[in-house]
Amino acid sequence: MNSTSRLIAALALGAAGAAFAQGNPPTTTPPNPATAAGQQNPAGGPMGTTGVTPESGGTTRSTAPTAQGSTDTSSSSSTTMAASGDTPAMRRARADRN
Amino acid sequence: MNAVQPGTGAAGRPLAVLAAALLLAFARLPLAEAAEDAQWLARAAVAAADNRGAPFAVVDKRNARVFVFDAGGRLQGSSPVLLGLAHGDDSVPGIGERAMAEIRPEERTTPAGRFDTEPGFNTKGEDIVWIDYDAAVSMHRVRATVKSERRLERLASPTVADNRISYGCINVPAAFYDAYIRPVLGSRRGVVYVLPETTAAHKRFEFLNRAG
Repeated sequence: MNSTSRLIAALALGAAGAAFAQGNPPTTTPPNPATAAGQQNPAGGPMGTTGVTPESGGTTRSTAPTAQGSTDTSSSSSTTMAASGDTPAMRRARADRN
Repeated sequence: MNAVQPGTGAAGRPLAVLAAALLLAFARLPLAEAAEDAQWLARAAVAAADNRGAPFAVVDKRNARVFVFDAGGRLQGSSPVLLGLAHGDDSVPGIGERAMAEIRPEERTTPAGRFDTEPGFNTKGEDIVWIDYDAAVSMHRVRATVKSERRLERLASPTVADNRISYGCINVPAAFYDAYIRPVLGSRRGVVYVLPETTAAHKRFEFLNRAG
């Protein structure tokens, strides 16, 4: 391989590396700083909370709660978190009758 | 979350045609005869303030349709639905605690009456609307997971008799669910009225007796 070929190969390698780097910009403002730092809630919820969080402010859940089995027989009173107004605390996921 | 039902994403042309047919079906104004009972009940519910000033839905089992109304009782949209295989207006006691395989055909009813609904999830992580949580009856997007049940075809057909196939849940076309059901009932408590098919309406809806 002569020097010209080596030069072309080096330029091509450099260009590819630059293209790859520019295609994956660093995230400077992660939505969840704690998660970005490697911390995760073992229950799958947002950091700073444990268990199932009640609904608030009329927002819709973006993720499903953990399934508790297909034939959950718990009574409603034991599975419902405190609710306010028309925005309910979501009951435990269970199988429906399709 | 906007759950996509199995079978609709990679449906291919035949299911795409079915989906288009369903869209057309609920985009059309419902037949006057089919809407009559639902609109009558909606007017009575609003007059009695039974809907608590909120949008609501009426399910007409005889015509296998759901009607969505705004808080003032104005019809917003309607669609064919799938209902429980068996005719009847009551759930068998304890049916919500039984496995699907243990439910006999004659027990697969969609209960009638006034239901305080609540948004929720099933064990697959799908967002649904609970009609009767304890009886495991929900309103959800139609699922085409069991091909032999032909649920999409049943929804698309113009006949009503073949809309009886579920184990009690109310199956709604996915597009209608996302456009009408989810905005009204998917994030807050609501009310769904299921018209009876074996008994008189006034026996199921107390506010009809109050209206005088």
